[in-house]
Amino acid sequence: MTSRVRTLERIVEAALTAGVAVSGLLLVAGLVLGSTAPLWWGVLLLILTPVVRVLVVTVGLILDHDWLFAGVSLFVLGVLLSSVYVSGRL
Amino acid sequence: MSDVPTFILIVSGAATGLIGAMLGLGGGVFLVPLLALALGVPIRTAIAASLISVIATACASSTINLERGLVNMRLGMTLEVATTLGGLAGGLIAAALSQRQLFLTFGATLAVMGVVMAMRSGRRNVIADEAGVEPGRLGGRLQEGDRSYLYRIRRLPVALAASLVAGAISGLLGVGGGIVKVPVLNAFCGIPIRVAAATSAFMIGVTGAASAFLYFGRGDVALHLTAAVAVGALPGSLLGARLSQRVEARSLKIIMAVVLLLVGLRMALEAQ
Repeated sequence: MTSRVRTLERIVEAALTAGVAVSGLLLVAGLVLGSTAPLWWGVLLLILTPVVRVLVVTVGLILDHDWLFAGVSLFVLGVLLSSVYVSGRL
Repeated sequence: MSDVPTFILIVSGAATGLIGAMLGLGGGVFLVPLLALALGVPIRTAIAASLISVIATACASSTINLERGLVNMRLGMTLEVATTLGGLAGGLIAAALSQRQLFLTFGATLAVMGVVMAMRSGRRNVIADEAGVEPGRLGGRLQEGDRSYLYRIRRLPVALAASLVAGAISGLLGVGGGIVKVPVLNAFCGIPIRVAAATSAFMIGVTGAASAFLYFGRGDVALHLTAAVAVGALPGSLLGARLSQRVEARSLKIIMAVVLLLVGLRMALEAQ
C-alpha cells in the first residue's frame, strides 16, 4: 500500500469519526432532553456522513491525479445528490 | 413516538450493531425482524430505522477497519457505482411491493446466501505474497500475523451485478446489502472474507444514504425510535468490529451461514 493511499484512508477515517461522534452526541442529547431538534439534526448528519466521505475521497483522488477512480467517485456522488434532489420532491 | 421503551430500543440497536459489524452485514438483517416481528413496530418504520442504524454501524466499524488496512477503497468505490444505483431504485420502488412479497423476497435471499456461504466455507482466496506477483488495480494485500498474502478480483461483472442487487435490497428492506455482497465477493470473486466484510461495511454507509434520503423525505423516519436504535448501534458496532478480528475466518463464515438460514426461514414463514 502506498503512503498516499494510507494518508487518504486516514483522512477518510477522521471524517467518518467526526460525523459519527457529532451525530451520536446530538442523538444522545435529543433522547436525554426529549427534544426533537437535536434528533432531527443528528439523523440528518448521520445520513450525510457517508456523503462527506465520498466527497473527501473524490477530492483526494483528484489531488492525486487518479482520474479513473476520481471519475468513479464523482459518479457515486452524483447518484447521492440525485437522491437528495428526488427526496425533496416526494 | 414508539410505544417500545427507549432502553429496549438502545439494547436492540447495540446487539444488532455488534453482530452486524462482526459479520460485515450492517446489522439491518437482524434489526428489521427484531423491530417488526418481536417489538411490533410497523414494517415501513422498522425499515427506515434500520437503514439509519445500518449507516451508523457501517460508518463506525469502517473507522476501525480502515485503521487495520482491511478496506479495499478502490474496489469499494467501483462497486458503489452499482450499490448506490440499486439503493436509489430500491428506495423508489419500496412502496410498490406488498408486505408479503417483501417478506418472501427477504427470506428467500437470505436462505440462498446462507447455503452458498456454508458450501464454500473452507475456501481461501489468497496467494502467498511473492516477488513478481501483482494484485492488480482492484486487488490488494492482506497481513495475517507475520505473513503477507495478496488477492485479485475475479469476475468483476458478477461483483457489480451482486452490488446492484445488494443496493436494491438495501433500499427495499433497509438491511444494508452485506448479506448479498459479502458471500458473493468471497465465494465467487476471489476476495478474502475479512476484506469482503470490511469493504462491504465501507460501502454500506453510502448505499444506505442513497435510499435513506428518500425515506427521510417521505417522512418515514420515526425520530425517537431511530435515534434510540442508532445510539445503541454505534458502540455495538465498534465493539463488533474489534471482536471480528478474534474470530477465525472459517468460523465467521459458518456463523454467517447459520444466521442467514435461520432469519431467512423466519421471514419466509412470516409471509404465509
